[in-house]
This record gives sequence, C-alpha cells and structure tokens, in this order.
Amino acid sequence: MSTRVDPNLLIDLQDYGAVGAEKCFNCGTCTAMCPLTSDEHPFPRNMIRLAQVGAKEQLLASTDPWLCYYCGDCASTCPKEAEPGETMMALRRWLTAQYDPTGLSAKLYTSETAVIKTIVRIGLIVLVLFIGYHALTGFHNIVTNSVQLNTFAPVMLVWALVLLHGSMLFYRMIAGVFKMSRHVLAPVTMGNKVPLRIYLETLPVYITAFATQRRWRDCHGDDEEKHDDGRWFKHFLLVTGYVTMLVLILGFLWWFQTDAFYPLWHPQRWLGYYATIVLIYTSSEILIGRWRKTEQLHRFSQPTDWLFPTFILTGAVTGIFVHIFRYAGWAWPTYIIYVIHVMAMVAMLDTEVGVGKWAHLFYRPLAMYLEAIKAKVREEQLVPDFAPTGTD
Amino acid sequence: MKNLQVDALVVGGGIAGMQSALDLADQGFHVALVEKEASIGGKMISLSKVFPTLDCCSCITTPKMSAVAHHENITLLTYCEVVALEQNGASYRAQINKKPRYVNEESCTGCRLCEYACPLDLPSAFDMGLGAQRVIRVPFSTAVPQKAVLDIDNCILCGKCENVCPVADCIDFTQTAVTFEIHADAIVLATGFELTPTDAKAEYGGGKLRNVVDALTVERFLAPTGPYGHVLRPSDGKEPESIAYVQCAGSRDISLGVAYCSRICCMYAIKQAMLLSGALPLADITIYYMDIRTFGKGYEQFYQNARAMGIEFVRGKVARIHEDAAQNPVVRVEQIDDGSVVEREHDMVVLSVGMLPSYNPGLIYNVPVAADDGFVAQSAANISPCLTYQPGIFVAGTAAGPMDIVDSIVMAGAAAAETAAYLEERRAVGMAGNGRSPQTTSVKEVSYA
Ligand SMILES: Cc1cc2nc3c(=O)[nH]c(=O)nc-3n(C[C@H](O)[C@H](O)[C@H](O)COP(=O)(O)OP(=O)(O)OC[C@H]3O[C@@H](n4cnc5c(N)ncnc54)[C@H](O)[C@@H]3O)c2cc1C
Ligand code: SF4
Ligand code: SF4
Repeated sequence: MSTRVDPNLLIDLQDYGAVGAEKCFNCGTCTAMCPLTSDEHPFPRNMIRLAQVGAKEQLLASTDPWLCYYCGDCASTCPKEAEPGETMMALRRWLTAQYDPTGLSAKLYTSETAVIKTIVRIGLIVLVLFIGYHALTGFHNIVTNSVQLNTFAPVMLVWALVLLHGSMLFYRMIAGVFKMSRHVLAPVTMGNKVPLRIYLETLPVYITAFATQRRWRDCHGDDEEKHDDGRWFKHFLLVTGYVTMLVLILGFLWWFQTDAFYPLWHPQRWLGYYATIVLIYTSSEILIGRWRKTEQLHRFSQPTDWLFPTFILTGAVTGIFVHIFRYAGWAWPTYIIYVIHVMAMVAMLDTEVGVGKWAHLFYRPLAMYLEAIKAKVREEQLVPDFAPTGTD
Repeated sequence: MKNLQVDALVVGGGIAGMQSALDLADQGFHVALVEKEASIGGKMISLSKVFPTLDCCSCITTPKMSAVAHHENITLLTYCEVVALEQNGASYRAQINKKPRYVNEESCTGCRLCEYACPLDLPSAFDMGLGAQRVIRVPFSTAVPQKAVLDIDNCILCGKCENVCPVADCIDFTQTAVTFEIHADAIVLATGFELTPTDAKAEYGGGKLRNVVDALTVERFLAPTGPYGHVLRPSDGKEPESIAYVQCAGSRDISLGVAYCSRICCMYAIKQAMLLSGALPLADITIYYMDIRTFGKGYEQFYQNARAMGIEFVRGKVARIHEDAAQNPVVRVEQIDDGSVVEREHDMVVLSVGMLPSYNPGLIYNVPVAADDGFVAQSAANISPCLTYQPGIFVAGTAAGPMDIVDSIVMAGAAAAETAAYLEERRAVGMAGNGRSPQTTSVKEVSYA
C-alpha cells in the first residue's frame, strides 16, 4: 500500500499548537508512560511519527487523538521535551478543522484575528437584528415601566430563530461526523458498506461514552499519588450544566424565557440555578487553571482554549443577571443584558459547534463508537482480506 | 614540603593525565602530576576488560601507573588538589593542598598489616559498595602509590593499626593537610568525568530498587580483581538468569539536563553483555536501546558479533522500572519496531549511565566550560582540540567531553605535543625554562621508587 506524504504537515500542525513535535526522536517513553495506551492504540509516539513523516491519510483515519485526555504523564518524562501531549491536543484541533466542511475551524485555530473578527461580526449581526426588529415595530415593543421581556423579544420568534440556527449548526456538526466516520472506517471496510445492524448494535458505546466520559478516569493509571477523579468530575459537572441549559433552551424556551414569576421550588427555577452555578464554577475553575498553568495540560494555551470557558462564563453570568434584573423589575438593564447574553451565546455556538473545542463533545465518543464498529467488522470478518494499517 | 618548579603541571591521574605526563616526561620535560585521590588510575583501573579488543584492563593500566610513578621526570602528587592558581608573568603558580593520609607516605611500605588489623568494615568505594574495605587500607590491590590511607571520619581511634605497623612513626593520627606551591609554565587539565548518579532518573528506580545497578558496578562484578569473582545480584546473591541493559540512562535526556550522547555506553553495554554471556552462559541478555552508536574502528563488527552471539537488542527507550514481589525489576517499554508496549521482568537491570563533567576549572584556572554540556570549553575544537580559552592551559581526555579510552589516550598525546610546542616556543623567546634547562637536573621532591 502506498502512502502519500504531505511534507508540510508538521509545519501546519505547529500552527495548531504542536509545539515540540519536531524534536521527538521516537524513543517511545511517552507511549510506555501513557496510562491510556493499549495494544490497538499505542499512542502518542505513533501519532508524532506520522506527523513527522507527513502521513496525513493515516492521521485522518486515526482515532487515537480522541482517546487521549491529556493527563500529561507523557510530557513529564519526555527526554526531548517534545511535549507529546501538546501534539495530541494539536491533532484534535487539526482533525476538527479537517472534518469541518466550512473551513471556519481552520481559521479560528490558526489566527487570533480571525477569532476576534468572527465574534465581533456575529455579535453585530445579532445586535442589528434586535435593532431592526424594534425599528420595524416602531419601538413600541420596548416597555419600560415594567419588565416585559417577551414583548421585547417575543419568545416564539426567538425560539424559532434558535431552532433554525441550531439546525444549521447541527448540520455542520453532522457533516463533520460523517467525514470522520468515512476516514476512520475506510481502512477496515475497504469500500464496503457496514451493515446498519452493526451501527445499531454498537450504539450503546457511543451513548455511555458520551454520557460518562468514563475513559478519562483511567488517567494517571496506577499512580495513586497523581490519580485524581477531580478533573473528570468537574468536567462531568460542566457537561450536566450545559446539557441542562441546552435542553431548556432548545426544547422549552417558551417555558424558560418567561415574564411569569415562579415559586422557588419550581423546576423552572432550580434547574436554571443548578445549571448556572455549575457553569460559573467549572468555567472559572478552568480559566484560573489556564491562567496559573498549574496542570500539565494548561501550560500551553491557544486562544481557542480560552474561548469556550470564557463564553460559558459570560453566558451564565449574563443569564443570571437577566433573571435578577427581571425579578427586580428593572426594565432597561434586563433588556440590555439580554441582548448581550444573546450576542455572546450566538457567537459561542457559531464558533464552537462542530468547529471549536466543543466539537470534542461529539468526536470523542464518536471515536470510541467507530472503534467498536471496526472491531465488530473485523470480528465478523465482513471484509475478507482487510489489511491492518499503520495507524492501528 | 618544598615548593616545586616544573615545566608542566598535569591535573588528574586517569588514563589521559597519565598519558600526557608520560609523553611530556619522555621528551625531557619535568612534570608534576596532581591527583586528588589516594591512587592514580582514574575510572579505567576499575574496569574489567576494554572494548573492542577485550584486553584485560588492569593489565594495560597498571603498567602505565607504574611508569608514571617511576619516571624520573615525573613528580607524582596524590591526595593533592590545586586550591589556587596565580599567573606569574609567563608562568603559573599553583597552590597545592595535600590532604592528610594519616600515614607517612615516605616510610609506608604498603605491607597492609594495618589494613588486616583494622576491626572496622565499610562498604568498599572501589568495588562500588559490593565488597568491604577497612578504615585504613591501601586503596585497592593495584593502587599506585602502594601506600595506606586512613579514613579519619570513620576511624574509632582504637590504635590497632598503629600497634602492628612495622615502621616506626608511620601511622600518624595527628597529621594535618600541608600546602605548597608548584611553579609551572603550562598546565594540562585531565580531570576526567563523573557517572550519572543512579538515582538521577526517578522512573528507573536506581538507588531504590536493589537489583537495578549501574554499569560500573557490573565492571566490578566482571573484573578479575572484583569482590565476588562471580556475578551475583545485590538483593539475594542469586546468579541472574536474565539481565537487561537500559541504554541512554542519563544521556540524551533533556529532562535530566543532559542533551548529549555519552558515546561510551553503547559500546560498554555490548562489551559487558558479551562478558556476561561468558560468565553466565545460560543467562538471557537484553539491551533496550534507541540506536546503537558504534563510532570507532572495529566497533560495528563488535556489535554485530554481539548480535550473532544471541544477545537480544530491543529498540525502545525504557520508560520506567518497578519491582515485583521477588524484587525482580520489571521494565516497561514501547518496542518501537512493532509499537507494542510491554512489561518484561528481569533478574537484574543495568543502567547504562552516562558521562557528566567532573570538575569545573572556571574558578581556579579561569578556564571556561561549554555552556551546553559543562565540559571544558575548547577554543578551537575541530583544529586544535586540546586548546582551552586560557593560553598555556590544555585539556585532555574526558575533561573535554565524552570519549573512550582510545580517544582519551590520543587526545592526551596531542595535549602533550601542544604543551611541548608551547614550552619550546617560550623557551625560544627566552620567556621560560623553569624546569628543563641544561644546568638543572631532575627536580624530585617526593620519591616512591
Ligand atoms: C562502566 C564503564 C565502562 C567503560 N568501558 C570502557 C571500555 O571498555 N573501553 C574504553 O575505551 N572505555 C571505556 N570506558 C570509558 C573510560 O572509562 C574513559 O574513557 C576513561 O576512563 C577516561 O579517562 P580520563 O582520564 O579522561 O578520566 P578519568 O578516568 O575520570 O580520570 C580523571 C582523574 O582525574 C582526577 N581528578 C578529577 N578532578 C580532579 C581535580 N580537580 N584535581 C585532581 N585530580 C582530579 C580523578 O580522580 C581521576 O583520577 C568505560 C566507562 C565506564 C563508565
Ligand atoms: S517521549 Fe518524547 S522523544 Fe520520546 S517518543 Fe515521546 S515525544 Fe518523542
Ligand atoms: S552511547 Fe549509546 S547509550 Fe550512550 S548516550 Fe549514546 S546512544 Fe545512548
């Protein structure tokens, strides 16, 4: 089997944050130190090697980057200080960009100005939409003597826009998912179709991986001193927080954005509070960690790494202020902070879903799912003469 | 002790220093050789056999050591260190501190009766802690000079040695350090190297796991003068059936601050593996390596012979070592050739430790060391490798960087030639002539003959 090499691959990856990959002399220390490495997936050295030789196809077909949770054990003993964990991180960014059909991801990951421009542009579009709506309605819908949020921003209209925009983003995400699946399955299926039955039989893998991120808990392996489920748990909290928010907004916005006052015990309130508190806590924790660089994985931060937690924090804080101002009966502050909230959240979804850090939400479990499918295909010998590839 | 005037001062009595001293002395220059230990010989005298010829190391080192001691143009000063250096016009004035041996060096006959009488056993420094040594002893059987030395820190002052010593007033518990000066026109630095400490890389468990040893320890196992006459692993004295070598254990590892290759460890590991195959014909020997660096004449053939002998070579840098319940070291490594991560148990693991600079001559000699590796900086490394940044001060052997015995000897000869040329040049312009002038004959202050 011939391999096409891309001689610029390593240089490209440096833009995505592969800070030391060129130094690696392939000693294998990192792989032997990695608690998540396995016989089928002995990473990270294999990935660095492929990057060094420019084996783009093999990298695109590999799920290994998604199986790494960046505990940093590899980097701490690398004799070349080649930062193998950073290369894995860079590969996740690069793969996200490769799978993204719009090309936005590549821009966001490789240029800071692109990040700022995109955010500002999206914010302005949202602002213009608000101003346009009120201009068209002759500014009659801005009630100032009491808080009438649903007049200021009619919930059904907002919801319709959310769903419309959401489905566009979902389409972008799904396109990436398909692209990844194609690349990963190709070396095993060799052009044959995987029967639907196998997709369905292995589906539980996706669901548990998505819901629990259980694999992460193997980080630091048997090193009891360092092993700590704290990071996993915080991340798990974060996921519950934003999934709650997402469900409330996508499914129940008419119930969640309201001018009514609910009693404290009502789920409308405590669900919102739970999500807000969790999101504020976890996102500030992440930001402080990145600032202090205490953990291995936080020593090198790309602009996009700051972005997601910053958005979450902004979203949660502005969200809770909308709530406070509304209960306090302050009309203008409620409306202004609401507009800011929507600007930030639209910018977040546009720069995250399928293209930014958020993409790993789908890709990580997908990687495990695809591996399960591959294993099944091999096990059942659906493809008589499949050839093992260099990446697995 | 009287001051000395010589042509050249050689610092360090390893193979490089001895060779430089001999080459200068043979040309008629007067040389003082200053060695900080109680015997000359350096690391080489503790080795078993040398690659790639497998010559007995004692057999080739000891004659050089005696030649140094007996050369009429060499003044051998052991247990001495240069503590200050002054530039005195065109020449150097070195202040020497001679540490107390607590034994009269002139009258001691090396009969070792004191050593036999001493009641205290300490781990033997020469045998890497494997055997025992007495508080008062001749440093090792082939030490030069064959003079006893007493380790006052561990001495209980029982006086047993003094009672048996046949020479009057030879053992002297009140001896103190003495200082004197050496005036020399040129200096050769041959201060050698240090080994990477076994515990440098925590993941390898050196110093903690008993059956993880360094390569110099194995040299002692294998040496005919060694402590056991057998290869026995430290924890339980069992003959190891499976021995592993961890290459680059201290070299080419920026996490340890050492970026360079130590050059010798691939070759000595292969050598030891061959010798071990002879000593333990049934043992399995595995060498974990990243690449094998056989840099000299006949070295690649030596490596190929080792492969042909059945020594297993596994490509991959060992990541870490732990111990199982039977104190067998277990090595974890990615086998690069097939990408599999394995854990393999061995009876004994040898760390192929690297070379570190042993001495920084910056302060006393004003000779800078290279910023990247700490070895003596060479001012013209590729055309005159023995020159330092200080005129009149030359460097030889592993003081300048990692090298094996052959290269150390070659460099020592070159340093002697450079030094001789330098001395002759000064003499021609009438600037020097401290030692070798037609009127003066040999200046020998201390004689061991
Ligand atoms: C385990 C092992 C096996 C080896 N096997 C081989 C082999 O088979 N073949 C081979 O070619 N090479 C081998 N080598 C390498 C060999 O040992 C060295 O190349 C050689 O010994 C270097 O000699 P040297 O004189 O430069 O340094 P050293 O032997 O280190 O001598 C330096 C001397 O200077 C003295 N000294 C240091 N500082 C001062 C100071 N400030 N004042 C006074 N004196 C000082 C020291 O006490 C020492 O006596 C091996 C090395 C090791 C570690
Ligand atoms: S430990 Fe460092 S040098 Fe060794 S293979 Fe991994 S990244 Fe490369
Ligand atoms: S000689 Fe061999 S073992 Fe020693 S540092 Fe160089 S490559 Fe590593």
